[in-house]
Parts: sequence; C-alpha cells; structure tokens
Amino acid sequence: MTAPQAVEATPFTVNAGVGHWLQSYMMMTRWELTSLRMLLPLIVAIQIVIGGGFALGVGLLSDQMPTRAALYLSTGVTVVTLITVGLVMGPQLVANHKTAGTYDFMWSLPVPRTTQAVAWVTVNSVIALPGMVAALLIANWRYDLPLQVTLSIVPAVLLTIVTATMVGYAFAHAIRKPMITQLITTLVIFVILGFAPINFPPENLPDWLATVNLGLPFYHMAVVMRGGLTEGLVTNVGISYLVLGAYTVASVVVAAWVVGRRD
Amino acid sequence: MDDWTFRAEQVTKVFGELRANDGITLQVRPGEVYGLLGPNGAGKTTLVKQVIGLLKPSSGSLTLGTYDLVEDPDAARQLCSYLPQAQMPIDSFKPHQVISLTGMIRGGDPVTVRQRSEEMIEALDIGEWRDTMGARLSGGIKRLVGFAMVTVWPGRVVILDEPTNDVDPRRRRLLWEQIRRLGDGGASVFLVTHNVLEAEKSVDRLAIINDGRLIAEGTPSSLKSEDRGRMRLQLMMVPGHATPEMPAFVHHHTRVGNNVMAAISEADSAHAIGWAQELMRLDEAEEYALAATTLEDVYIRMTGHVSEDMGGEVQA
Ligand SMILES: Nc1ncnc2c1ncn2[C@@H]1O[C@H](COP(=O)(O)OP(=O)(O)O)[C@@H](O)[C@H]1O
Ligand SMILES: [Mg+2]
Repeated sequence: MTAPQAVEATPFTVNAGVGHWLQSYMMMTRWELTSLRMLLPLIVAIQIVIGGGFALGVGLLSDQMPTRAALYLSTGVTVVTLITVGLVMGPQLVANHKTAGTYDFMWSLPVPRTTQAVAWVTVNSVIALPGMVAALLIANWRYDLPLQVTLSIVPAVLLTIVTATMVGYAFAHAIRKPMITQLITTLVIFVILGFAPINFPPENLPDWLATVNLGLPFYHMAVVMRGGLTEGLVTNVGISYLVLGAYTVASVVVAAWVVGRRD
Repeated sequence: MDDWTFRAEQVTKVFGELRANDGITLQVRPGEVYGLLGPNGAGKTTLVKQVIGLLKPSSGSLTLGTYDLVEDPDAARQLCSYLPQAQMPIDSFKPHQVISLTGMIRGGDPVTVRQRSEEMIEALDIGEWRDTMGARLSGGIKRLVGFAMVTVWPGRVVILDEPTNDVDPRRRRLLWEQIRRLGDGGASVFLVTHNVLEAEKSVDRLAIINDGRLIAEGTPSSLKSEDRGRMRLQLMMVPGHATPEMPAFVHHHTRVGNNVMAAISEADSAHAIGWAQELMRLDEAEEYALAATTLEDVYIRMTGHVSEDMGGEVQA
C-alpha cells in the first residue's frame, strides 16, 4: 500500500452565513440522533407510556368524568409530555455528556453554537411528539372527546417545546454538577404538575396562585395547546400567545447566553 | 492570508487563587510539531482549552495569523482541530462512521472524507474495529479513533492533548507517523504530553511548563546542550534513606521519591560506578544504572518530576 498523502491543512477562510448554519444544523442533528440511536426507541416508548398512562390514570379519580374535565385533562396531558421532555429528559441527556466527560469535544466542534441548541430542540421534538399524540389518542378513545384539531396546533406545539427545551438546556449547561441539574428538574416538574393549571382550569386554584400562574409560562402553554385542539374551551388565546412568545424569546436568549459563556 | 503562525502572548489564566497559566508566550509555525511538556497540573490542558475557546484567558492574547482566537471563538473552532484529554463521545458510533461524520462537520466533502477515513483506519491499524460499536472499544483504540476524527480533515492548528494515552507501543509509532504527516500537510501541531522520551524523538520544538510558567523552550537538542558529554547516574535508594553526600564529580542531582539522578561527565563514569557500588555495599542504595542523558534529565532537573514512562522504567 502506498502511504496516504499528507492531508492539507484547511480552511483558508472562516465560514459564516445561512448556508453554513443550515449545513451545521443538519450535521449536529444527525450527530445527536445517531448518538441516541440505541436509546431512542426506549425513550420514545417511555414517553408514550407516560403520556397514555397519565391520561388513563387521572381518570381513575372519578367514575364518571364530566366531558369538560376530561377535555381539560387530555389536552393538559399533551402539555405535560412536552414539558417533561424539555425539562427532564433533555437536561438528563446533557448531564450524561458531562458525567462521561465528552462535553469538551462537543463544545469544540466547528459549528455555530446555536445549531447545537436547535439540533437539541429537534431531537427533543422527535422524542416528545409520539408521546403527545399517543396521550391524545388514548384520552380520546377513553373519554370520547369532542376534539377539533386545527392548524394552530403547530405554533402551539413549537412554542411550548422550544421554551421548555431551552429552559432545560440552559439549566443543564449552566449548572456544573449533573446531580444538581437532575434534582432541580425533578423538583420543577412536580411543582408544575401540582401548582400550575395545566390539567384543570385556573378557577380550581386559590386566587393568588391563579394570578401567579398568569405570569408564568405553563398556564399559557396549556391555553395555546387547547386552542389548537378544541373549539371554545379556552378564550383569550391571543394573550397567551403573547406571554408564551415572550417566554420563548427569553428562553432562547438565556440559552444562547449560557452556551456562549466561557469561564 | 498566508501567515498561519500561531502565537500565544503573555497568556495568563487565573482560577481563584491559582495561576494555572502565568504569562505564557510561544509561537508555532505551520508545518511544525510543537510539544508542550510538563507534569500533571502544570497547566497544559488549561492553555489549549483557551486556544479552542473552552476557556477565556484572564489576560494575554492568542492569535492565528490575523485571527484573534479569544475574540472570535467561532473562528477558533473552525481553524483548530482539537483532541481533548477527556473522553470522546463515540459510544453509539462505529469508528468509520464517526470519523467521516466529524470530517464532514469539519467542512470536508463527503467523498474525500470517506476515503481519508478509510486511509487513516488502515494507517493506524484499527481496521479490525472499523465496524465495532464505540462502547465496545478499548481505551487505546478509542483514543486512536478520536485522533482520526479530529485529523481526518485537519484545521490550521491541530491540538492534541495527550494523544498517546492508553495506546499500545506499536500503534503509538503509527500514531507518531500520522502526527508528523499533519505537519507535512502544513498544519501547526500543538501536542501536549508528559511522555518526554517520545516527544524528544518526534517534536521539532518544545516548551516545558511547570506551575503555569514556561520554563524552557527550544529544539530537543538545544535543550540538552547543557548536558552534552554527560551521563546520568541513577541511584535507587533504600526506601526512606537520606540522599547521600554528592562527590565532587557530580554536576547536579535531583531526587524524586527514592530515586536520585546525578549528572556526571562521561570521563567520570568509572568513579561514578565505584561510588554507586560502595553505596550498595553500605545498604544505602538498592540498585544503580548509568545511561546517556536524554531530554528526560533536563526535564527532571527543571520540573523536579519524573515523567510517567520513566517512573515505570525505574520500578522495573
Ligand atoms: N476549571 C477549573 N477550575 C479550577 N481549577 C482548575 C480548573 N481547570 C484546571 N484547574 C487547575 O489548574 C491547574 C492546571 O490544570 P491542567 O491545565 O489540567 O494541568 P495539566 O493539563 O498540565 O495536567 C491544576 O491545578 C488544576 O487543578
Ligand atoms: Mg492535562
């Protein structure tokens, strides 16, 4: 065999621009999906079980679930599945990178950092969407719901997933100890499930807590998702889009700041 | 742009009270393999992490030609390839896949990258594991895959942080051949190691750093010039025994653990052996060895540390 040629050092210029960004984004998505290849079927299956199980399980609370309550519940479950992936699963995967010590290499790749974050959102969506759809189908079958899916489900899902994923991403990257990240995300998810009006209307909460939730993103996530899945269950969807949109922008800005930071 | 010289000027990195890098200035020219030697904790990894933008210098500058690598970490990541000292995330990839994918991320076109990836697998003699999942590879093979990943489409500067760790001796030689070849292709190779003997044979120039400071720099032979015509007498003392009084013919000596390394002139070899045998007879020393001086002697004298391989040799 002839010895391979000396490999010429490149580049001659530094790349920037939309083409470079898109190319890098596709490569990073491919990287993340391949990395998860072994776990992906399991993770997706677990998400489906969580979503479906939640939809069925809460139904056990009463024999005869009124349609309105069932509708709240089953649409709420979709939000819960999206949030858990972004705020729990995502940070745990980042924490794995940190524990394995493979973080330095990922952070040294010659791609814009934002492409790594967006690739992350993409992967989280791949994980979350089957669980969300399954939860909806199971709830629909169990409670026979008058669902009316419209196109506005697309921006609703996007805003919800991007916000949850970016908040989780920023957390996971900003906190040095993976253990702490996992404790915090677990705490967050329980607080959200218990004290945010996602699976029930805000009227069920004490006034002050309902007011607090108006300033937090979770209630608004539920509203925009309901807007896309039902007819007439929620009103003032526009305001929720505004509040949630602001949170999305803020979460992206914070995540961009965190990943751009150097010690 | 045709100036691709890498320059570090007065780079200082402070962690709290600790000055991990303290005013480090050095240059690496295209085509040069530049070794960065120093004991554990000397600040080598800290320095290279600043080049690639994983850390930010407290003060000082890092430039590549006209590019300011500190101000523009995006450019730094495109211009420099980096093999970290830490693990590579390749558990769920097959070597040939992950080498090609990284090459494409580095900007290579798919066809050429695939071809080069096969060439590197052959050159490093890891073909046996071409299709083995990363999680099942041994540490040394993983290291070689990591090397192929970051060099299949090399940047202007190739940073290798302890690339030979865990690699078996035969493939180490193959690895060094590939490192030389990177230089032939015009890259500046910035190579971190604490294996002094290997570095002596393979680098063009090197710097020794200790406690964050650059304490010596030059070609291996220029660094050894002070020891020209000298031999090293190595005494393994009975554990805990005090360092014996040095006879007049010893130029200087260093003690590391139970090992005393004394520099002597070749002409004094016979005296030295006589002295060493006397120490053994008195049960002060257990063993001795007389050898030609290497860069290791310079290194030991300057840092007060023995390198890892030397430590192994002494115990044998
Ligand atoms: N992120 C950090 N925070 C605090 N101290 C650090 C950090 N990274 C390295 N150090 C310290 O800086 C010194 C140099 O470390 P390092 O550059 O890893 O040494 P080397 O690579 O030469 O073995 C060590 O004392 C190490 O503990
Ligand atoms: Mg190191």
